[in-house]
Amino acid sequence: MRRRPGIGGLQTAAAARNQYRVLGENVAKLRTDLMKEQLATFRSQLEEFARKHKNDIRKNPSFRSQFHEMCAKVGVDPLASNKGFWAELLGIGDFYYELGVQIVEICLATRPLNGGLIDLQELCKLLRQKRKHDREAVSEDDCLRAISKLKTLGSGFEVISAGKKKLVRSVPTELNKDHNAILELAQAQGYVTVDEVEKQLSWTHGHAIDALDTLLDEGLVMVDDGHRDGKRRYWFPCVSSISSFGADG
Amino acid sequence: MSNFFSKAEVTSSGRPVFLRNEVECHLLSGVDFEPEDHLQFPPLKSGILILTTHRLLWLPSSSATAPTSASAIPLAAISHIFSSKKSLKSVFHSPRIRFQVLVSPDGRVFDPGSGSDYSSGSGSRSVVVTAVIRGKGDCDGFLVKFCDSWRAKAWESNETSGSGSGSGSGLASGSGAGTGTGGGLYSSDGSVRMVGVAGILRKEQEMWESTDKSLQDAFQDLNALMSKAKEMVTLAEKMRQKLLSGTSSQTSGNNDEDMGSKEEMQDWLLSVGIISPVTKESAGALYHQQLSRQLADFVRTPLERAGGMINLIDAYCLFNRARGTELISPDDMLKACSLWEKFDVPVMLRKFDSGVMVIQNKSHSDEEVFARIKSLATKPEALRNGVSPTDAAMTLGIAPAMAKEHLLTAESKGLLCRDISPDGFRFYINLFPEIDPCNIYFVKDFGICSTWIKAVSTSG
Repeated sequence: MRRRPGIGGLQTAAAARNQYRVLGENVAKLRTDLMKEQLATFRSQLEEFARKHKNDIRKNPSFRSQFHEMCAKVGVDPLASNKGFWAELLGIGDFYYELGVQIVEICLATRPLNGGLIDLQELCKLLRQKRKHDREAVSEDDCLRAISKLKTLGSGFEVISAGKKKLVRSVPTELNKDHNAILELAQAQGYVTVDEVEKQLSWTHGHAIDALDTLLDEGLVMVDDGHRDGKRRYWFPCVSSISSFGADG
Repeated sequence: MSNFFSKAEVTSSGRPVFLRNEVECHLLSGVDFEPEDHLQFPPLKSGILILTTHRLLWLPSSSATAPTSASAIPLAAISHIFSSKKSLKSVFHSPRIRFQVLVSPDGRVFDPGSGSDYSSGSGSRSVVVTAVIRGKGDCDGFLVKFCDSWRAKAWESNETSGSGSGSGSGLASGSGAGTGTGGGLYSSDGSVRMVGVAGILRKEQEMWESTDKSLQDAFQDLNALMSKAKEMVTLAEKMRQKLLSGTSSQTSGNNDEDMGSKEEMQDWLLSVGIISPVTKESAGALYHQQLSRQLADFVRTPLERAGGMINLIDAYCLFNRARGTELISPDDMLKACSLWEKFDVPVMLRKFDSGVMVIQNKSHSDEEVFARIKSLATKPEALRNGVSPTDAAMTLGIAPAMAKEHLLTAESKGLLCRDISPDGFRFYINLFPEIDPCNIYFVKDFGICSTWIKAVSTSG
């Protein structure tokens, strides 16, 4: 395109820009159509997959977790929205959202007992009891995924690791490193004493008392002063096995 | 009738009499039995072949004129079943099942119930018998069941229990309807019943084999699907870039259709499973917009019941329970609630410092709540013992978690003081503003301080 000086040149340049813009829009439109087509193909492929394997996904937890891993690698989130193809065709959304709601209910029911912190295995057990009429098996991995989705709703739903156990938190209480350390310690016997904490974690007396008191405030720990040796024991319902009774329903 | 085969007893209506624990497994019609060479027995034509757990029965069809009676071959006498060889010839022929039968020295089919020991090598020979299936039955299925039954050796477990599985023992119930009695390896429909540890192991094995095969297929399909999904993701990324940068380069005249296509694109991204950002201009996917309005309508009743404020998670559970099916994801919920600020709805989403998110009425005022809290905290009871979140919850008519948030907010506003004890949190009315720092012991006659002193001192 030869550049011409003067008004004519400017007009030509403007016309050229306009043409490019229109062309660009057309190209974009083409890409939109292409996208639509691709989407339709993808959808039909997914339908085919669902037709053959929808049952496998529902019945087989290890296949389910494999499926999720692959989705994550590719960069799609099958649980992102109810409207997604995944939820619609594979029915995978309902499964996890229902699971999420049930988990919330269980956490709410056991909160008076354990203060909002529950062992993941305990949760799974209660969940299976609740779901014993459904014939679909629920694995820990499923629970973890459901909880990770619930996190977005605030209120502190989260899975934390304390030592060997995984605990599900359902209250907005912040648990820092100190609290985690105490929780780990408590897994041995279900309780800790101040001396234990001081000795095992090499803390000062004040530090130990402070951390234990915070946990007490939040209702995560119960005080037991009834032992003969007079030492106060701090019991953690979430890591000991005493939390199973009384929490049914 | 040759005396090659064992005799099978038949009821008056032509059904075979089954032995104890014998169960019928399969039936084929239009079957001929042919020996390999015609010396053993004349061929039996056009009969009904019944496979049971213990024997192979051949019944003459009612159209047969010759008084051939039913014949039986005990499965125990079968030494080998030939697998069906599919050749060009077999396409034209009727399907055939060939098996090898042990023959005792006197030319009859070996009868295991007669007590003779066939492995003693007393000159036992074997004869190959072919069953030609001229009828329409499922030959392959029959063959499979035949092999299964033969391998399962149901007669051996019965022999140990002393019932005797020889033919013609006549112990079977007269019903002959093929229903197996309790016990034994087979359940009433002829499938191998799983008993004992061996049964459990077998069941596990079968389950793994069938799952394995279908899983292999599933994984192959999954891989194919994922590669397609990857393509979609790359395409979607390009789209998303366009979305984010789109507004700056367009002239204002095109904005409307841009909005439309942008929403469409958001919808598409959502379908594939890619969470796209809600840009300032666009209102997100159309789906979320609809959901947002629906949610605003739904949440009005629970809000009233909960006193004007409801935890987001509680609202989520309520909403999903109400929906029943096609539940929404937490992301959907959050998106829908965030869109409220763009629409004119009477509810809003509010986030507290602690991370708790609540839905509250726009008309909700914190001041009003504080006034109620203050009145609660100045009651004599409360002056003595303080207000716990549960007390506040009961008085204000809201959930305890919400009540706690309110009390904490009131505290940060200077209305209340907290008292932390092993009992938990309690809140007292804040008296400090009334105390004059220059004269801390002076108690004014008015104000809360005096009320407090009065209340506390009367408790003794």
